Amino acid sequence: MRTDNKTRWKTGKIISITLLSLMAILLLFPIVLTFLYSFFPVKEMNDLLGTRGNFSVDQWMDFPLSPSMVSLRQYYSLLIEKPIYLQYFMNSVFYAVVVLLFQAIVLPALSYALSCFKFFGREALFFLILLLMLMPFQVTMAPSVLTMKTLGLLNTRWAIILPLAVSPLYVFLIRQYMLSIPTDILEAGLMDGAGTVRTYLYIVLPACAPILGAACALSFADSWNLVEQPLIYLSELRDALPLSVMFNAIGESEKGVAFAGAALYILPAMLIYIYFQEDILTGIQLSDLK
Amino acid sequence: MFKKKKSLWLFLLPGLAGLMVFYVAPFIGGLYFSFTDGTINNSFVGFDNYTRLWKNEVFRLGLQNSLELSLICAPLIFVLSFTLSVMLKHLKEKSLFFRNVLLMPYLVPTSAMLIVWTLLFDYGGIVNRLVVGLGQERVLWLQSGAMRVPIVLLYVWKNTGFSVVIFSAALQSIPDEYYEFARLEGASSVKQASKITLPLILPTAFFVLVLGWVNAFKIFKEVYFIGGAYPDERVYTLQHFMNNKFATLDYQDVTTAAYSFALIVLALFGLMYLNKGVRGDAH
Repeated sequence: MRTDNKTRWKTGKIISITLLSLMAILLLFPIVLTFLYSFFPVKEMNDLLGTRGNFSVDQWMDFPLSPSMVSLRQYYSLLIEKPIYLQYFMNSVFYAVVVLLFQAIVLPALSYALSCFKFFGREALFFLILLLMLMPFQVTMAPSVLTMKTLGLLNTRWAIILPLAVSPLYVFLIRQYMLSIPTDILEAGLMDGAGTVRTYLYIVLPACAPILGAACALSFADSWNLVEQPLIYLSELRDALPLSVMFNAIGESEKGVAFAGAALYILPAMLIYIYFQEDILTGIQLSDLK
Repeated sequence: MFKKKKSLWLFLLPGLAGLMVFYVAPFIGGLYFSFTDGTINNSFVGFDNYTRLWKNEVFRLGLQNSLELSLICAPLIFVLSFTLSVMLKHLKEKSLFFRNVLLMPYLVPTSAMLIVWTLLFDYGGIVNRLVVGLGQERVLWLQSGAMRVPIVLLYVWKNTGFSVVIFSAALQSIPDEYYEFARLEGASSVKQASKITLPLILPTAFFVLVLGWVNAFKIFKEVYFIGGAYPDERVYTLQHFMNNKFATLDYQDVTTAAYSFALIVLALFGLMYLNKGVRGDAH
């Protein structure tokens, strides 16, 4: 009986690995293909993409897996010949970095207040944040355009940055994590005469390293993929649009370099992910879900 | 827990101010627009804007499509991420590679994937080769209602990993002994999942489902990139409606749509709390 169960457990494990591997291949396929095609010669890719949209029933598109020659021409063209790609790329970098800076100042502090302090209205405030987190973007965006207009921020970069600086999702995630810090540690700090500021800087923040790392990576991914906000807030400031919105528009004129463009665009997010991967897997804890 | 500390304000104020200025104040201020007529007098019109908007066919089309798309995406992601997380739990420490792979698409910007998607779903593309291989007719994936398939797949491809991370964190808190005991009793893995795993992670599961649904409701990027700003009416979402209203500066309609929307979400939120209350009583 025991061995029977053990074999069943082992079978389960084998099935799990097989299915997960299949899933991994499926998920990675579009990314791998993008990187692979980014090393094809420009002309070859132009030809391939040109055969799209052929509706004849007896024709198939080619599906080349190895280039006639490995070429860095796509990258050269994007990075050196046509500065427009880099310009939008740098816009995206700007948003991601500035948003992160603001968030670093505001969000952990707010989470600290919400988890380690007792004050009147704390639960109500947290409930409000939960509510804002669950509200679809359309709901908060529509009225905030009017505020942006009143404050003179519409069609400036601030219209993108400032609302993201107080993203409710990350307050929620960081606060949940801070709740798991044992209160003894905080109180021991107080006994030793450390004030709330020192406790925050030297005890709470280091203890929260995993969730802060996770939040960094997720926030970066968010800023890197902005679409709705720029379309509304920056409709008259095209120079400040991020690559997320402009990428396909640039690609229209020169399709042959699109894959290198996509690969370059994916790369920073990947690197950030690889840097923070452990934090993401250990930091997001909702055990205290209330 | 700190009580009555003045330094509280130091930590609270910046975030609180930001939330108030960019989320709460606009929300309250916008109410004014949804109840006035937008002429020079700006007279109070009661619920006229609401009745007019709800009769507006384009708005209803957007609402319906957003609802339908979210009700396709959210359950798909929920079931998929739960299944994957259970499988990951089987692997224990060896699951790191798979978890990383699953989350990777979340980091990839949607627009960078468009080019590959148009290749895969082209009339002569790989997906149609598979379709023909299975003995079916080719499909025009990038047109009309069929466009929903690449859109939903792009959304699911990108967002499943995040739910897996949340599920996996919850699953890790379940002691292994429970499963060992169940195995000794001869419980199958399906039974283990439904009798042990699911009940124990119910709060997390509910959170994943609600957050997943709300997130899927705002599906737009995928549609915008595949279908454009004025896509086929089978994929025209609420966000398209609002973007186009912004373009014509029709704040009445935009704010009214936003509050109608908020009411729906609030109703769901109420249900969630009710559900929690009911469960709380049961224990």
